[in-house]
Amino acid sequence: MAVRALPASAQLCSPYWLLLPVGLLYGALALLPIAVILRLGLRDGGSPLRAVLRSPLLLRAIENTVVISLLTTVIAVLLGLLLAAAVWRAGPRLRAVLWACILLPFWTGVLIKNFAWASLLQDNGVVNTLLQTLGLADAPVTLLHNRFAVIVGMVHYVLPYAVFPIYTTLRAIDPALERAARSLGAGRRGVIWWVVLPLARSGLSNAALLVFIISCGFFITPVILGAPSDLMIANLVDYYVHDLVDFDRAAALSLLILAAIAALIGLQQALPKEGQHGTA
Amino acid sequence: MNITAIVARDPAQATQRRGHRVEVDQVWKSYTPGTHVVRDVSFSLAPGEFLTLLGPSGSGKTSTLMMVAGFEDPDRGAIRVDGRDVAGLPPERRNFGVVFQGYALFPHMSVLDNVAFPLRMKRIGAATRRRAALEMLEKVGLADFAARRPRALSGGQQQRVALARALVFEPDALLLDEPLGALDRQLREALQIEIKQIQRRVGVSILFVTHDQDEAMMMSDRIAVMDQGQIAQLGTPDQVYLHPETPFVASFLGETNLLRGVCVAPEEGYATVRFAGAHGWARISRGRARPNDGDAVRVSLRPERIALLGANDHADCAVTGVLTDRVFLGRHTRLVVQALGQSVVVSTAALLAGSLDVGASVRLGWSREDAQILHET
Amino acid sequence: MARRDGIARGALIASCTPVLAFLLLPSLVIVPMALTKGQMLQFPPIWISTHAFTDYLGDPDWFASTVLSFKIAALAVAIGGLTGAAAALALHGKRFPGKGLVVGAIMAPIVVPLVVLALGGYLVFAWLHMVGGWIAIGLLHGTLVTPYVFISVQTSLVAALNPLLVRSARSLGAGRLAVLRHVIWPAILPGVAAGAVLGFAVSFDEVVIALFLQGPQTVTLPVRMFTAIQFELTPKVAASASLFLALSVVVLLTQAAAMRRRSA
Repeated sequence: MAVRALPASAQLCSPYWLLLPVGLLYGALALLPIAVILRLGLRDGGSPLRAVLRSPLLLRAIENTVVISLLTTVIAVLLGLLLAAAVWRAGPRLRAVLWACILLPFWTGVLIKNFAWASLLQDNGVVNTLLQTLGLADAPVTLLHNRFAVIVGMVHYVLPYAVFPIYTTLRAIDPALERAARSLGAGRRGVIWWVVLPLARSGLSNAALLVFIISCGFFITPVILGAPSDLMIANLVDYYVHDLVDFDRAAALSLLILAAIAALIGLQQALPKEGQHGTA
Repeated sequence: MNITAIVARDPAQATQRRGHRVEVDQVWKSYTPGTHVVRDVSFSLAPGEFLTLLGPSGSGKTSTLMMVAGFEDPDRGAIRVDGRDVAGLPPERRNFGVVFQGYALFPHMSVLDNVAFPLRMKRIGAATRRRAALEMLEKVGLADFAARRPRALSGGQQQRVALARALVFEPDALLLDEPLGALDRQLREALQIEIKQIQRRVGVSILFVTHDQDEAMMMSDRIAVMDQGQIAQLGTPDQVYLHPETPFVASFLGETNLLRGVCVAPEEGYATVRFAGAHGWARISRGRARPNDGDAVRVSLRPERIALLGANDHADCAVTGVLTDRVFLGRHTRLVVQALGQSVVVSTAALLAGSLDVGASVRLGWSREDAQILHET
Repeated sequence: MARRDGIARGALIASCTPVLAFLLLPSLVIVPMALTKGQMLQFPPIWISTHAFTDYLGDPDWFASTVLSFKIAALAVAIGGLTGAAAALALHGKRFPGKGLVVGAIMAPIVVPLVVLALGGYLVFAWLHMVGGWIAIGLLHGTLVTPYVFISVQTSLVAALNPLLVRSARSLGAGRLAVLRHVIWPAILPGVAAGAVLGFAVSFDEVVIALFLQGPQTVTLPVRMFTAIQFELTPKVAASASLFLALSVVVLLTQAAAMRRRSA
C-alpha cells in the first residue's frame, strides 16, 4: 500500500474542538441574545417592530445616523488616504513615528477621547482660546454640543480604521509599476491618477464600509459631544431601554440595525472586485 | 564565427539604421558617501545598436540603466541623446522605453490599455491609440490577447506585452533591465531570439542589462563588462571573450587559465612572457598601458584555445606537461595538465585525448593571438 | 528625479502634520488638564497641582470603580484569551470551505454595535439573574477581547509555527503534551501576551456594555466617568483619564515590541 501523506491538520495538535470555547462564548452571549432579540422584537406578530417603524423618532435617528456617518466616512477616508500615503512613502524611521501617532489614539478609549474633545471644544477650551488669540473670533464660538463636535469626535475615533485597509492596498502596489508609468510618459500626478488610485480602490471601499458600519453604531459620542437633537440609532436603543423600559421595541430596533449591517456587508461582498487581483 | 555575423556586428554599419545615439559621459553615482556604485562610466549607444551592460549583481549595471532612464540622478557626468543633455529631465520626458525585470504591467488594465497607455499620456486620441496599440500587439504576435488582463497571460506573453508597451510610442531607445531574469531557460532562449528579431524589425537602439554572459554574447552588438561600478572592458562579444583585458573579464566570461609569468621585451601589440619552464608570446591590448620589461604579469588562455600537439606539430607557443586529470564530457574532453608550474585546464575535442592516461606526458600549444596579457587593476 | 521625488514626499508628509496634530491633540491635553489647581478644566494649566489625582484616588466610589474595572478586565482577558488563542490554534494551517465565514464570525464583535451586544447580553443575563454582577460584564467583555487575541495569536502562529515543525517534533518522539509545551506554547506565547494587553485595554475602556449591565455595586470607572462628563468637566475626570492614557501608551509599546520581534 502506498504511503499517503497525512494532511498537516492531522499531524498538528490542533483539533477542531479548540473552536469549542469560542463557540460556547459566542453561542451564549451572541447567538442566544440574537435569538432573544428576535423573539422579543417579533412577538405578537411583529407588533414591536411595527411600533418602532411607525415612530417618528426612528426616522429622525436614521436620518441623523446616515448623515453623520456619511460625513464621517467621507472625511475619514480622505484623511485616511492622506495618512496611509504618507506612511507608505515615509522612510522606516519616519514610518514608525507616523504609526505611533496613528495607533496611540487608536488604543485610547472612546470615552477618554470624547472627554478630551469636550474640554478642547468648550467655550473656554483650547480651540476657542487659540481662535481668540489669533484674532479669528471676538467671543467664544460654540463648538461643543452640536453636530460639528460629534463629527470631530467620530472622525477622530474612526480615522485609524480608515488608514489600515488603505495602507494595506498601497503597500501591495509593485513599485516598478510607478517607474513603468513614469517611463511611459506619466507625470507624478498621472501616476497617482492612473496607477495608485485604481489599485487602491478596493482598500478605499473596504475602509469606507468599515468606517461607515462603525460610525452607525456610535453611542457615546453623540451623548457627550452632541446636542439632544443629534440622537443616533444606538441612542434610540438606549432610550427605549432606559427611559421607556420597553425591551420589545429596543429589541425590534436592534434587529433593524443588525439587518442593515448584514445588508451592507452583503452588498460589499457582491460588488465586483477589481484591482490587483482583477479577474480576467 | 562566420564572416557575415562579424560584419553585422560592426558598429560602423549599425549607424545606417534608424534610432538615436545615447551617450553616457563620465557618470558617477554614490548612495552612501565614500562608496561609489558607478564610477566614471562612459559609453555611447549607437543608433540601432544592441549594447549590453554585463556584470554580477552590485556591479553598477542597473544603477547605470536607471540613471539613463531618469529614475536616479548622476552625481557627476552627463547623459545625452543625439547630443542633447537629458540630465535635468524627469523620466516621463526622456522618451525611453523601459522594460523591467517583473514586466511591471498594470494589473488593472487590459493588455490593449497597457500598450495604449503611453499614447494616452501623450494625449493621442482614443481611435488612433487603439489602432497603434493593436498594430504593435500584432508585431509581437499578441493581437488576439488584447482584451485580456496581464495576469491571464504566461510569463513569455507578459514579456512581449511589456516590449510592445515600451515600443509603441517610438522611443529614442529601449532600456531593458534583466527582462528575462524571471523566465525558465527554454523560454529565455526563445525570447532572446524574439527580442533580436523585433529589434531588427523596429530598428530601435537597445541598452540591455544582464548578469548572464551567454545571453549577453548571443544578443549584443557590443558588451560593456562592468565590475565594481566601472566598465572593465567594452567591445564586441568576440573581443571581450577572446581578448579579455582584465582578470575579472577573463574569468567572468567563461572559464580561463590565468598563467603567471614575467614580461620580457614588450613590443607594440605583443610581448615575450617568461613562464616557469617555458617562454611564449602573448598579446597586449591596444589602448592599454604596456607592461615594462621585467614586470610580473598574468596571461589569460582559454581552455579551448589550447591544442594537444603531436610530436611533430608546431605552434607559436608549446610546452610539455603531465596529465593529472581527464574527464570526458561528450562534446569535448576536459584535461588538467601540470605545466608551467601550475595546473592548466585544456578543453579539447581531439580524439587523441581519449587515449591519454593520467600521468602521461603531453605537449600543449597555442597561438600567440590567444594568449592575452591582462591589465592588473 | 530622486531629488524631486524627495521634495514630493516631503510635501506629502508635511501636508499630514495637521492631521497628525488632530490625532494627537486630545491625548496631549489630558495630563496637563489634570494638573490644574482649580476646579475648572483649563489649558494650559495655570497652577501645577496634583490635587486632582488625590481627589480621584481619595474618593472611595471612584477608587472602588477603578478596582472593579481592573477585576472585570482581568476576567475578560482570561476568557477572551482562552477562546481567542484556542480558536487561532484550531484554524491554523487549515483550509476548508467556509473558513472565511468562521473567521468573520470570530471577528464580528468588532463591527456589531455595542448597543446591540449590550442589549442582547442584558436580556440573557436578566433571565439568569446576573445583571448587576461584575461576572456578567466580564463575560460579555470576553467576547470583545476574543477577536483581538485571535488576531494576534494568529499572527504569531504564522510567524513562528510551521506545521513541519510539529511533524518533525513528533517524528523525533515528542508526544502531544510535549509538542504543546515545547513547540506550540512558545510559538503562541507572544501572541497571547500581546492580545491580552490589547484585550485588557478594550475591556477597561468599554462603556456601553458596562452601562447596560451595571448595578449599584458595579459601576465601572468608564461608566462613572461617562456620567460625570455629562454633568461637569472636572480635573478629577482628567486625572482618571490619565490612567487610561497610560494604559494606551502601554498597549502601543507592546505593539511596537511585537512588531520589532516580527521583523527581527
